[in-house]
Amino acid sequence: MSKTQTKKQPSSRNLVYWIGGGVIGLGLIFLLALSIAGEPAVDTSIAFGEVTVEGENLPFFADPNAGDLAVGLTAPTVSGGDWMGNDFTIGPDGRPKILVLLAHWCPHCQADVPRIVDWIDSGGLPAQVDLYGLTVLTNRVRDGSTWPPQDWLEREGWTSPVVMDDEEGSAVSAFGLVATPLYVVLDGENKNLGRFSGEVGTSGLVTMANLALSSLEG
Amino acid sequence: MSNDAILLYSTFLALLALVALTAAVGLLVYRLVKGPEAAAILEGRAVWLAWIVALVATVGSLIYSEVIHFVPCRLCWFQRIAMYPMAAVLLVGAIRREVQVKYYALPLALIGLPISVYHYLLQTFPSLEGGACDPSNPCSAKYVDIFGFISIPFMAGAGFIVIAVLLGLYVKDTNKETTIQ
Repeated sequence: MSKTQTKKQPSSRNLVYWIGGGVIGLGLIFLLALSIAGEPAVDTSIAFGEVTVEGENLPFFADPNAGDLAVGLTAPTVSGGDWMGNDFTIGPDGRPKILVLLAHWCPHCQADVPRIVDWIDSGGLPAQVDLYGLTVLTNRVRDGSTWPPQDWLEREGWTSPVVMDDEEGSAVSAFGLVATPLYVVLDGENKNLGRFSGEVGTSGLVTMANLALSSLEG
Repeated sequence: MSNDAILLYSTFLALLALVALTAAVGLLVYRLVKGPEAAAILEGRAVWLAWIVALVATVGSLIYSEVIHFVPCRLCWFQRIAMYPMAAVLLVGAIRREVQVKYYALPLALIGLPISVYHYLLQTFPSLEGGACDPSNPCSAKYVDIFGFISIPFMAGAGFIVIAVLLGLYVKDTNKETTIQ
């Protein structure tokens, strides 16, 4: 008993057509890619600011489930500015604060920003508490549609003070950011009352505002 | 490079993915209506077509990472692991007219597809992977968003679907033409 396998022989003309088609298609993609690569580099510095940090950084907020082990520690004083040339200092000025560290490409930050804007617009932020936004981890290629972050925040109707972090991530290190968004609640002496990582929604904002207010009572 | 240039490139790939996906749906319906003889319309071309899809997906993703400098996330790498070998395996199978290549390539496409689907869902519903973003390289971040619904995993998923339809339904196992004497 023997087996005979029949197999069609490849036609060399067909082979040339198919491979030629593939090469032409690829060539088009390469041309498009080369035209992209040949474009002048975009100035990304417009999305960063100059930040100075005085004092010791808060430890990294590594495990939000375990709670914030840095409660009671004094956060460093962070100075920086927004894209319009306004300078801000986040330090011991006697007023409790909520800081929101936002990455423009992060969908959770994108979800929380409109909630924060609505909450503030509806009078949710107590007059005794300040709220600062900090644009951090800015990365144009991760999401060009929200870059630069100032355009994104303006589109969202953000009106609170903003500090733009520098390219080295000084603000990220200062507040021990491990995930975004990161909320930091500070008392008037810049002591950390609690950090919260991830989407918090309106109820979380209310909780943080109450925490900030509680520091005034003590 | 400008956002416009990246947008142009992504739109080109997105259109390719849409056309290919539409064709795959058409082929799927045709196969369901016509039955096994539907495979005759592509004859030996199905493996070639599948190779072109794998090749475009492979080169397209390499341009994203090496030219545009998008950093692939964990799930992107899993999809690459499924897609890249097909660009080589299907070429060899197509040149040799080795229709049984589908038994090597089809599992890769069927492994890659659910990963693409999960990645796409993760981008659409970021809370699937918790409420916060990993700053290093989150899979929930959308590097590309064309027409409001086409992202990179969408395009990869379209590629896996097209390859799976072509190989699974349009490659007749003619190598089994065996005579026993």
